[in-house]
Amino acid sequence: MKLIFEKTVKGRDGYSLPQDLFDDIRIEECLPEYAINKGKKLLSEVSEVDVVRHFTKLSKLNYGLDDGIYPLGSCTMKYNPKINEKLASLGNFIYAHPLAPEETVQGCLEIIYDLNKLLCEITGMDEYTMGPAAGAHGELAGILIMRKYFVDHGDIRHKMLIPDSAHGTNPASAAMGGFQVVEVKSNEKGTVDLEELAKLMDEDTVGLMLTNPNTVGLYDEGIEEIEKIVHGKGGLLYYDGANLNASLGIIRPGDAGFDVVHLNLHKTFSTPHGGGGPGAGVIGVKKDLIPYLPTPNVTFNSNQKKYYLSDTGEKSIGMVRAFWANFSVLVKTYTWILSMGPDGLYNTSETSIINANYVLAKLKKYYKPAYDRYCGHECTVTGREYKKYGVKTLDIAKRIMDYGMHPPTIYFPHFEPYAEETIMVEPPESESKETLDKFIDIMIKISDEAKTNPELLTTAPHNTPIRRTNDALAIKRAILTYDDELKLKDELKYQEKDIDF
Amino acid sequence: MRYIPTTEKQKEKMLKDIGVSSFEDLIKSIPQSLRLKDKLNIPEAMSESELEDNIFHIAKKNADFYSMKPLIGAGSYRHFIPEAEKFLLQREEFWTCYTPYQPELSQGTLQSIFEYQSYISRLIKMEVVIPSIYDGASATAEAALMSLRLTHKNKIIVSNLLHPHYRETVKTYLAPHETEIIDLPYKNGLVDMEKLKILIEEDAASVIIQSPNFFGGIEKISEISEIVHSKGALLINVIVESMSLGILKAPGEMGADIVVGNAQSLGMDLNYGGPYNAYLGTRKQYIRQIPGRIVGETVDVDGKRVFVMTMRAREQDIRRERATSNICTNHNLNVLASNIFLSLMGTEGLYQISLLNAKSAHYLENLLLKSGKFEKVLNYPFYNEFLLKSKEDVSTVNKKLLENNFIPPLKICEFYQAENLNNVLLFAVTEVLSRDNLNLVAKILSE
Repeated sequence: MKLIFEKTVKGRDGYSLPQDLFDDIRIEECLPEYAINKGKKLLSEVSEVDVVRHFTKLSKLNYGLDDGIYPLGSCTMKYNPKINEKLASLGNFIYAHPLAPEETVQGCLEIIYDLNKLLCEITGMDEYTMGPAAGAHGELAGILIMRKYFVDHGDIRHKMLIPDSAHGTNPASAAMGGFQVVEVKSNEKGTVDLEELAKLMDEDTVGLMLTNPNTVGLYDEGIEEIEKIVHGKGGLLYYDGANLNASLGIIRPGDAGFDVVHLNLHKTFSTPHGGGGPGAGVIGVKKDLIPYLPTPNVTFNSNQKKYYLSDTGEKSIGMVRAFWANFSVLVKTYTWILSMGPDGLYNTSETSIINANYVLAKLKKYYKPAYDRYCGHECTVTGREYKKYGVKTLDIAKRIMDYGMHPPTIYFPHFEPYAEETIMVEPPESESKETLDKFIDIMIKISDEAKTNPELLTTAPHNTPIRRTNDALAIKRAILTYDDELKLKDELKYQEKDIDF
Repeated sequence: MRYIPTTEKQKEKMLKDIGVSSFEDLIKSIPQSLRLKDKLNIPEAMSESELEDNIFHIAKKNADFYSMKPLIGAGSYRHFIPEAEKFLLQREEFWTCYTPYQPELSQGTLQSIFEYQSYISRLIKMEVVIPSIYDGASATAEAALMSLRLTHKNKIIVSNLLHPHYRETVKTYLAPHETEIIDLPYKNGLVDMEKLKILIEEDAASVIIQSPNFFGGIEKISEISEIVHSKGALLINVIVESMSLGILKAPGEMGADIVVGNAQSLGMDLNYGGPYNAYLGTRKQYIRQIPGRIVGETVDVDGKRVFVMTMRAREQDIRRERATSNICTNHNLNVLASNIFLSLMGTEGLYQISLLNAKSAHYLENLLLKSGKFEKVLNYPFYNEFLLKSKEDVSTVNKKLLENNFIPPLKICEFYQAENLNNVLLFAVTEVLSRDNLNLVAKILSE
């Protein structure tokens, strides 16, 4: 489809300007010559109608959650309630300036304060900070808190333990936090190998980052042992809350001994993913770690009945962003929790666990599970047995698209010998049994196609807006802007056979 | 529950198909001793109408911001957002989808990101644009880390006129690396060139400046870049008010090596501080060290032009602890917002609005100076923010403004404790303030 630049018609416009452009002020008299750009910077020239049609057409090339199941493992693609959007876009919220006087933003502060309390209750932690903008951002903040805690206690440690099943952000965040990453192997049950953990955990190690249920979708039943091993050596336990959807109302990370928790509000708490954010990666800590939280936090003065933005003090790790939080995401989280109530939250986890086990039970005859045991809110199966027909897991995923569904997460997690050619399915509570049955039928049909007509899979998808992409060419050509493309066209002298612009 | 379609009867059937007699059988691996014994102690579920009442009630505890006009910026600027943008953004295909890992089902998101990279590249004159890091502060910190990797040095010089929150964030991110951070003082509202010449030595990785700076001042980027480059350091230029790019010279043309921009002005609401978005631009030679995601053009098997996430070998899901950054989910919907905004504005619209911001700010400065109630403390060229010292107590000034439905300007002493900045206000003016509004401000403050 054409780029917005290719729709430009010179002299066309899509803006509206105030009538008074202050023509009595001469810009040359306000700004020095070194500051002003010579001429206008070229963008595009299109009307509002062109813009509306362009982006509507673009939207139709996307598949969204309201189109159907989006069973990406570890992503918790659940329904995004519409009322949340309305309430987050109230004029009093969206036009609130972050540095407006405190007495004018009491509503915003109340939401931040109340949400903090709700999240503490849901996860068993003592205090949250709302600043981090995404899961990985929260991880970094959490790791910096752990670092500061040890530095403050004069106990300098250098290593961070991370299971091989962890999200890539865990080791990347630990490295940004200045730690050497030590990988902990999974055992034959798919969970942390306790013997190995006990060997690796020493007094030079700050702690362990754990996702529970882990990324294969399995509850770590050794959690009590893990807690003893890590705390026994003076370490801290970090909880990656990406998979909290299996725990609501059942178990709280705080009760299981975790010291730091990050929550992806755009996963468990129903805020939309927006094509890759914005979300929010708030973090909760136990009492001992409160002094190290990023600054500022919201406090309530019960005498004055007023909320304040307060500095967290000199032990704080400092600021992790400008201003306070991804506020509109917090409003959506707050409204979701209030819509669900305690029973709704329990129902969320119960249903998502039943959904995942149902999918696993129905698929395991056709796709060998990574581990044959009951799972949490997501299940991991593999496409291994179709390799002999020349079919890779990637081909299975691409074929799912032909049936009008979004494929699950593939090739993650990846660790041998169990988790290879993995297909990780997360069917959250908002997917009905009928939808799951349809998904299961398609998966079974594809397994049959893999044996009888593998080419159908290896050349899939066939019915999508575009087909498989040449990713190596993207790297080789490095066309990252429209101007790069124009340059290349020039160099190639418009050899249309090379590239169909 | 209206968001959970499965009925209790269906659950029973599903449990039977799984081969268990109860839900409890599925969660046996969770130790009993750790289980919650009671229901969570949170409010009972509200109906949608109760929920509305409840949130309306809380929102009312804020000032009626809808009808108030801000005289404050300082990193967050209220500009007009066309309805077409808000309307298009809410299309579920954009709003509810995930990161575009599967290009066959996400060309809408991918092409939009590519278009945005193209727009920003033209506005800042940089070859490569990372479309999305959470916000200006975290993107500045990422740029600082990038400069450490590129130069293998561990010292950074940071302008005192970089937004205070950005400076704090850079410090937070650099803490584990034990980087030496040196404050670069200002002189008369701009970077102190003489001090820069003294402070910079061969061991500096980069110098971070902001232009227009926190006081609104337009830095002499070309001169600064000559000094910085003469010692082999990189120049990181931060833009907090991106609306300025419509009329100001592009930092890429003046020698900046990395350009970081807070994109909030390009189509994002104030939202009490977020979510906003930031872009990071640089030269192609530095591409292996860029943080975050980028979209490139290629073809599909039918030879059709398509867009994909590219140069992914730097990223956390592939490179793990050796990644250039841990960034994963970023602010892609905000990228789309800016892309639609810039498309609606176009060449002429962005130029005109940008010009109008500068002109109306100078108009207000002039009015306030003429009122005799304010005086200039520092003399520097500015874009749409400026400092004025009030003869009346600033708290009284701000109270008057608030009573007249203006969000008051920033008391600069909240961030800067210099003697000549006592009782000084940082005003910001955007196109949402009409001439009548500005005249009213001057009138209120003259009384």
